[in-house]
Amino acid sequence: MSREKLRALGIELPLLPTTSVGSFPKPEEVQRARTQWARGLISREELERLERQATEFWIRTQEELGIDVLVDGEQYRGDMVTYFAEHMRGFEIGGLVRSYGNRYYRKPIITSEVRWERPITVSWWRFAQSLTTRPVKGMLTGPYTVMDWSFNEYYPDRRATCLALAGEIRKEVEALIEAGARIIQIDEPALSVRPTEFPLAREAMQIVTEGLPAYFITHACYGAFEKIYPEMLTLPVDNFDLEMSNSNLDLLEHFMRFPFTKDLSFGVVDVHSHVIEDVETVTRRIRQGLSVVPAEALWIDPDCGLKTRTVEEAIAKLRVIVEAVAQVRATLA
Amino acid sequence: MNLILTHTGSYPRIGDSPELQILRQTLARFDRGEATEADIRRAEDEMVRRAIAEQIEAGLDLVTDGQIRWYDPISHVAGKLRGTKINGLLRYFDTNFYFRQPVLVDRLKRERPILLEEYLYACSVSARPVKPVLTGPYTLAVFSLVEHQEYRDLGRRVEDYAAVLAEEIADLAEAGAELIQVDEPAIVLEDAVFDLFAAGIQKLAQTKGAARLALYVSFGDVTPLYARLQELPVDVLGVDFTYSPRLVERIAVEGSAKALGLGLIDGRNTKLEPEAEIVAALERLLPAIRSDVAYLNPSTGLEFLPRDRAFQKLRHLVAIGTRFKS
Repeated sequence: MSREKLRALGIELPLLPTTSVGSFPKPEEVQRARTQWARGLISREELERLERQATEFWIRTQEELGIDVLVDGEQYRGDMVTYFAEHMRGFEIGGLVRSYGNRYYRKPIITSEVRWERPITVSWWRFAQSLTTRPVKGMLTGPYTVMDWSFNEYYPDRRATCLALAGEIRKEVEALIEAGARIIQIDEPALSVRPTEFPLAREAMQIVTEGLPAYFITHACYGAFEKIYPEMLTLPVDNFDLEMSNSNLDLLEHFMRFPFTKDLSFGVVDVHSHVIEDVETVTRRIRQGLSVVPAEALWIDPDCGLKTRTVEEAIAKLRVIVEAVAQVRATLA
Repeated sequence: MNLILTHTGSYPRIGDSPELQILRQTLARFDRGEATEADIRRAEDEMVRRAIAEQIEAGLDLVTDGQIRWYDPISHVAGKLRGTKINGLLRYFDTNFYFRQPVLVDRLKRERPILLEEYLYACSVSARPVKPVLTGPYTLAVFSLVEHQEYRDLGRRVEDYAAVLAEEIADLAEAGAELIQVDEPAIVLEDAVFDLFAAGIQKLAQTKGAARLALYVSFGDVTPLYARLQELPVDVLGVDFTYSPRLVERIAVEGSAKALGLGLIDGRNTKLEPEAEIVAALERLLPAIRSDVAYLNPSTGLEFLPRDRAFQKLRHLVAIGTRFKS
């Protein structure tokens, strides 16, 4: 079903397409430049020049590794919610809040009506796609997660906030499609936070994707998906990208009980560990994926964005994925 | 009725100005091998002093140490016990904050006090009384992974966590803590087992000595549990009103035999609640409390907010609460 949809969109992919969740580590010069820019020591143009250079590096790296569906690596983003809040009307960027351990982020505050004013990610997508003939995913954060990861001082409740965001985020999806993106990933890591709100997340996703000509992926991680499964399968997307390795593949059990009816992007390496998985471990995980969905429906990627790893670790983890996929493909042919 | 203005637990350990970033930077330098544990300790001390100073400046009567030294509410306590190791990240209730899950690998044992030193330090730098805060046995038990066979049974986990925490409560009471707060948010979870939770609280109550014990519950609607919570052997019951549209009415009608900790100010959103709303709730609640004392506090710790907003919340709480002080 989804293969047909991809074909109709002009995209042919091998069995077990390899991809990435989104972020890659920023090379040291980009990290340094971001700090310098924040302190007013270098211009926005200079920072962007380095971000473009790093994007090019990651596109080339993914091509060389043999990844099938590429990402731009999000070299220009700080955080997945703050980045969109910074580029839409209605948000103030608040002070630092701790997310865990010694990690902090600037949690946005919704202070007036949220409004999409102009494309946010489109020029980055266009630039990345211009560097390669392989498909590059359009990437954005979904309305439920932006709502859940922002303070709200304006809307009466979570529902009103989420639906208002959905209408605006749809405009970014439309802009990506107009620019030529055919595979679009809408990240919703907060999807399972409040299981009783799943219908709201679904309604919002419907607003974002309804009637639009693209293959939609949603990425979710570090949550209690068993609490929204199998209802989760009614989300109007084609592909679920799930973190599987960090949770000892606990989800598989649920997928055995209720068939997984969408395409599945199966996370096969843990992004929070320095340890590089060996090829055997990853081929075993791929085979576990094949035990719950047919080969036609299975995509292979890391658990989550690789930005917390070093450049070398990220590349090593991707290389293992590509090698393991090649081995499994050989047995499927 | 004496209304005591207090805090619920955590306070931001960071702020936007450079002098408020010292703990973050020291921890990062420690990771690179450029700072020592003593350096971390000094940075934590500094941030504890600042957290206490801000609470006092805001006008609170009773403060906490801001849980500045806590990695998170679960692993900070469990990790100091023998028999545990610390595992990967898990979301803390429905917040945007993640904690590390403890794994029980052997029988739990308290080899040395867990929080006593932190409490004594806070007292030494505070001009106002300090309330120590612990995470309760049921919540620790629920969020622990199990490798040690005996702990497959949740009841055994609660019992043993309660035993070590009871020792801690005895130490804190002995050290002069007049009010000790125990947080048990896990009792709001859908599949919570009330009897096991209650057994844990009973065990803690046995060692409180001259101290008063406050049980705080947050991150969920406590209305359905309200009657049963009233029966527990604690002196103060802290409740989070932000999930509970009917709780004010329920308490106004049924009353409270215990002192209440009123979590009417939302510790999780930057928006300052309309003063009239909080005043109206207090006017309904205070006459229903059959105790000579009540506490007004945020619904949760304030670490979920940026520092400037956390301070504003406390100022807001004090401005409203002061109108009800006898």
